Amino acid sequence: MNRAARLPWLIIGGTLFLGLVIAGWMAPEFLSPPDLEKVAKDEFGQTVGGLGFFEAPPFGTNEYGIPLHELALQGASIVAIPSAIAGLMVMALATLAGLVRCADIGWLDTVLQAFGEITGALPRMVVVLVIALLLPYDYKYLLPIALVWALLASPAAMDEAAASAGRLGGARFVEALRAHGFSAGRIYLYHVVWLNLRPVIVRQGADVMMQVVFLEIALSYLALASNAPSFTHAESLNSWAELLYLGYSWILDRHLGHAVVLSLALIALTAFIAQSFRLAARAR
Amino acid sequence: MKWWMRPLVRLIAAILLPLVVPALITGALWALPGDPASIICPPGACDGRDALAARWGLDQGALHFYVEWMKKAVTGDFGRSWTLMAGSPVYDEMVASIPWTAMVVGVALVPLVLGTVLAALGWMPKALDYVWNAIGVAPAVILALLVAAYVTITWGAFGGDTADLTKVLLGGLVLGVADGAFAGAVSGTRSVFEEEVKQRYVQIALLRGETVLANALPNVLPAMIGQMRGRVLHVLSGAVVVEVVCGIPGLGQLLWDGTLKQDFGVVLAATFAFSAFSGALMLTQALSEIAVALYVRRSPKGVLEEAVA
Repeated sequence: MNRAARLPWLIIGGTLFLGLVIAGWMAPEFLSPPDLEKVAKDEFGQTVGGLGFFEAPPFGTNEYGIPLHELALQGASIVAIPSAIAGLMVMALATLAGLVRCADIGWLDTVLQAFGEITGALPRMVVVLVIALLLPYDYKYLLPIALVWALLASPAAMDEAAASAGRLGGARFVEALRAHGFSAGRIYLYHVVWLNLRPVIVRQGADVMMQVVFLEIALSYLALASNAPSFTHAESLNSWAELLYLGYSWILDRHLGHAVVLSLALIALTAFIAQSFRLAARAR
Repeated sequence: MKWWMRPLVRLIAAILLPLVVPALITGALWALPGDPASIICPPGACDGRDALAARWGLDQGALHFYVEWMKKAVTGDFGRSWTLMAGSPVYDEMVASIPWTAMVVGVALVPLVLGTVLAALGWMPKALDYVWNAIGVAPAVILALLVAAYVTITWGAFGGDTADLTKVLLGGLVLGVADGAFAGAVSGTRSVFEEEVKQRYVQIALLRGETVLANALPNVLPAMIGQMRGRVLHVLSGAVVVEVVCGIPGLGQLLWDGTLKQDFGVVLAATFAFSAFSGALMLTQALSEIAVALYVRRSPKGVLEEAVA
């Protein structure tokens, strides 16, 4: 894929991600107070759900008349930065593994492989739950959990980056470029990382970014279903899982179909951002 | 690196894993601020914390607790629940939950193994990759919610045996396809075989009229087993979410409940079970790598004699 074909994806992905960050930044600290004028009622005046998209723009309300866009903004504030940091961490570790393979540093390569074996040995969710259990109350935010997830996801990224570097020729590739008179910085940063490892590194980083968002939704949903506080955010905030949870009531004939649509749209948006970054970094 | 180094490291890691994981949790429990006994008996909420600590073996430090817990754990005694079902044996909960998780994981492996075999045989059309990738984007929690909704609508909130069976079957299927599991099985297997097919020995074998699979399989088997181990771990990870959302009383649900209630007795036992299973997977991979390596490195005497004859 040439640069002209990749650039639009970079712009789309970058803009949407920036939008997510800005949405998080604009999130209200607390939700609006309940407003029972903004709820759906049956013929007996009983509340049967929230108002839809068109009755209470932009995204309707929940059963208490609280606008759903406030929940969506708060959800964005929970996931935007930790998911990006987790993605960057995986990208950094994958870059390191690729460079080590090219630099032919045998002992460090072995250490990184051993690290991969150890961190990849257990089911990730089990490790995440144990970490969540051990985190002091003040640290029960998404970032530490996202970093643990990134650490656990990094062996696959490192393996793939190292394999890509290996296919490139490893140390022989670097030697060949040295013979052409290129500096070490240009060889490693431009020829190895930018031209050859970039597709793998960015794809893995985007995958982990998306996984962290989904992890947050899953953990918060499980906490909601268990009627317990989430490990990933303060009790004053609401995750996108709250929208999903509201939407589940739709099955019980509540007027909350718009919450399902909104939660699925946000999940699709996350997947689309990740896919845009993947396409933007695809190899020529 | 010698060929036996990696399997050896895996063998050692497989044996150490079930020992190290509970040790780390125990160490972390004691490293946390406050007294571990205060989890069972919060200050101000109950009296006799010292007596309780002595009774639960929490009064003589982390090492003593770990050694005593591990000695009992190898005999199947996982101690008692701290808070979730305070005082009741964790073993009973483990025995009740493990079969559920085994069933869910077993069902999840069906699509994964099928995808692997079909991709290895070259029977999985590449055109379908977009379909698998699109399905794989769906997070397990969403698909599990659909399963839970379907079961609730069909059988009501209280369910029954048929509802439970449906939850296990559909929950397992969700694990087999969600989060890119099936797509990964197909594309991972295909990429391994495509790389191997480029090798000269496979091309020569093809010219001799032999099949790709028979020739390439011994060489790709370690990579395939490694991939399958990763997929089983992925399924186990997702099982926690699927079990809780679908209400399947498996090991994942037990671990989740233990985590919520800060029940270290349950969490230690559940993570011990998960790490023992992960260790067993690692052991299988190491042994199969050794077996394949010995098979590939066997003397070609018989082959040569056959060729000469």
